[in-house]
Amino acid sequence: MNSDVALPPLAIDKLPSGLTLLAVQKRGLPLFHARLSLPAGAAEDPRGKAGLAQFTVDLLRRGTRRRPAQDVDDLIESMGAQLSAEVSMEEAALALTVPSELAERALDALLEVALLPSFEENEVASARRRTVAALQSDLDEPASVAGRAVVTLGYGPGHPYAHPAHGFRRDVETFRREDALGFHATRYQQAGALLAVVGQSPPPELLEFARKKLAQWQPSWPGVSQRLPLPFGALAPSPQMRAVVVHKPDATQAQVRIVSPGLPRTTPRYAEAVVANTALGGGFTSLLVDAIRVDRGLSYSVASRLHMDRRAGLSVFSSFTKNETLRELVDVALDLMTRYAKTGPAEDALEKARRYLAGLFPLGLESHEALAEQIADALLDGLGLDHLSKYRSRILAVTAEQARSIAAEISPARDGALLVVVGDAEVARKALTGLCPIDVRHLEEFA
Amino acid sequence: MPLSANDFPVEEHALPNGLQIRLLRDGSLPICTLYHFFRVGSRNERPGITGISHLFEHMMFNGSKKYGPKEFDRRLESAGGSSNAYTSNDLTAYYEDFAADALPLVLDLEADRMASLTIDDASLLREREVVKEERRFRTDNDIDGMMDEALGALAFLAHPYRWPVIGWMSDIESISREDCERYFRTHYAPNNCTMVLVGDFEPAAALRAIEKLYGPIPSGEPLPTVPTGEPPQKGERRATIRYPSQAPAVLVGFRSPDGRDPDSLALDLLEAALSSGEGARLKRALVYQQELCVDAHVWFGWRMDPGLFEISLKLNPGVDPARAENSLWAELGRLCDEPLPERELERAKNLVRAQLLRGLQTANGRAHSLGQMEVMLGSWRAMLDLPDRYAAFTAADLQRVAQKTFAQYKRNVVTLIPGEVPG
Repeated sequence: MNSDVALPPLAIDKLPSGLTLLAVQKRGLPLFHARLSLPAGAAEDPRGKAGLAQFTVDLLRRGTRRRPAQDVDDLIESMGAQLSAEVSMEEAALALTVPSELAERALDALLEVALLPSFEENEVASARRRTVAALQSDLDEPASVAGRAVVTLGYGPGHPYAHPAHGFRRDVETFRREDALGFHATRYQQAGALLAVVGQSPPPELLEFARKKLAQWQPSWPGVSQRLPLPFGALAPSPQMRAVVVHKPDATQAQVRIVSPGLPRTTPRYAEAVVANTALGGGFTSLLVDAIRVDRGLSYSVASRLHMDRRAGLSVFSSFTKNETLRELVDVALDLMTRYAKTGPAEDALEKARRYLAGLFPLGLESHEALAEQIADALLDGLGLDHLSKYRSRILAVTAEQARSIAAEISPARDGALLVVVGDAEVARKALTGLCPIDVRHLEEFA
Repeated sequence: MPLSANDFPVEEHALPNGLQIRLLRDGSLPICTLYHFFRVGSRNERPGITGISHLFEHMMFNGSKKYGPKEFDRRLESAGGSSNAYTSNDLTAYYEDFAADALPLVLDLEADRMASLTIDDASLLREREVVKEERRFRTDNDIDGMMDEALGALAFLAHPYRWPVIGWMSDIESISREDCERYFRTHYAPNNCTMVLVGDFEPAAALRAIEKLYGPIPSGEPLPTVPTGEPPQKGERRATIRYPSQAPAVLVGFRSPDGRDPDSLALDLLEAALSSGEGARLKRALVYQQELCVDAHVWFGWRMDPGLFEISLKLNPGVDPARAENSLWAELGRLCDEPLPERELERAKNLVRAQLLRGLQTANGRAHSLGQMEVMLGSWRAMLDLPDRYAAFTAADLQRVAQKTFAQYKRNVVTLIPGEVPG
């Protein structure tokens, strides 16, 4: 486990257009995978149009200039594929996996969907109604509501990351065809895009295949568009801890999140941050799991997570418990994480975290999809292949002093932390009395 | 095209105590996955101790003779591994993903808890509270969970599939240490287990280690017979749940054959035709064309005894459940009345085959697939000719199975109505 893991054979080419081509050889199963990442993530949503990046991606398959929506579905699914269309804060990504012999058809289908959407008026209206209904339905999922509250309140007003990728109902209701057309024309750009192909052939062959295919599609890309830089400022925590309770009637269990500003994925201290967080709340033997689940039986699930995106991040404690033990869970978590911020991990916990992360790292390189995503993200983040090929040695080299010094920056419990509770407001208000100021919000606010 | 046996050089072994062993070497990455499949799930329970299989799954992490409380995962994670487990109606599976050099430790940990699990009152007390939280999370405060629980109780009168895997809350509260000890002795013996190891290891050395560690564990008594009788359904059944949700929902279940029945494969294809992908019939009709649902989804999994083909409709807020139901009946009726066009049949076959292949991409996926085939179909080899068996189905076959399954008198319907329960 002490040696680094060799990446599979691969080749990278940066085209004059600014698009990066990545070809990875994966032997074994006769599968081909393609993934197109575009600089069209949720951070690019215009003000008052939260959710537009996701809405645009969802509309891509609802008809192209060559065929209607049903035929697009048939084109993809007749190959046995399911098109994945995701939006992160920074990118929109389209991906699909097919049997190897269908590689050409698959890549053509992916590029047609990405580059030639028709955005028919009736499909836009229908997608708007579907999205609004889905956002309302999501309010039935307490964990989903908590997640939406965390990004919205954790990043705070004006921050480009301060909304869920699916947006808000109030914004989605305003979406028109022109919004999607405009977003597609200005964000679906080759500069900053990456096309990854993973298959059985040697990388030069795969690269040549992708290059030829891109050349065929070259005229279909939107024209080059300049974009304004996004207003990324440092996150300013509030001077004192505060609680936001989102009222969910009839809940017998409360979802709990504790949130503080975190670190971006591009931090040079990535390895120590990940190790220190794992000791605190990763895996199944972390300090938090021990204290909350194993020793006290307060919850089924407990974790601390680093929500790391390219240009900003949050540190988030996450758990749930029955109404009767809400205060106990919050007190135990705050106490433990506050102490941890000062002391960092003990030597045995540090060693366990290092070896846990290093040992499990290759699991993230197993499937075609995971390989493409991991390598693409490392390249797009500007971290390079070393981020993966040297991962193990960097993790194993994290010292006690490094872990201790970063603990204060990754612990979710700090001065000015935000406590989010989704549950019965009356129960939560009573439970949290005396802890910090409490602000009760309506569920609908997070739709 | 079948999967090639050359790509799955599985070694098959059995110990005198009955433990079944399947080894598949793959040195592409320095990792392994180890599964233990125990043939025990909620179908092996009885009223009063429902949920004990799942509660027991939790108890398996609380210490044994050599490795005390908290040691199992602490040792494993320190060696670069992680563990998890799940319980279903039919089986309980434990697995570890780990750095290849941790194999000796992982085998020692697993053999130790099979040989000498510690079951004490204090850990039972704590684990019971954890499971109650899990139940509140997955069932009491979750629409899918509460509807699924209601559907089981509606569709089955006599069979143990009637109760939820997690168990009724009152049973979870009253399961005793003695119940757990009896359960362990009966169901966690090596003769009730299939072990699957996949990854970067040397098979002869691994087998020697397994023989040494597991060989001395005695086999258990013959397993009690499961009461699998279930009277035939003679009419539509309905249940209603009132809950303060944003929108109504409908969950429908049709009794289906057991996993070894060839018709189960036809139902896999019907599942794909109805709900896999955006162009599937239910999605196309109910979500995109009629805009009645946020999602329309089929769930069908092989079971040891005749189970359920489930269809979940998450309605748009304000939609009348009866309207969505009628659209669903129309779509199911179409499957019964007309053979699936060739294009849709091929689509379903391709989707099912691709899903099978994608599930074999990882060591964990391969280990899980091999073990599931062993437990549900009797041999991992069943996996090899699955693509050919799916390919052999005709549209007429699927129509016959649809007619047999989706008859009106076989409907079990749970409806969620937004609102409070009075009082």
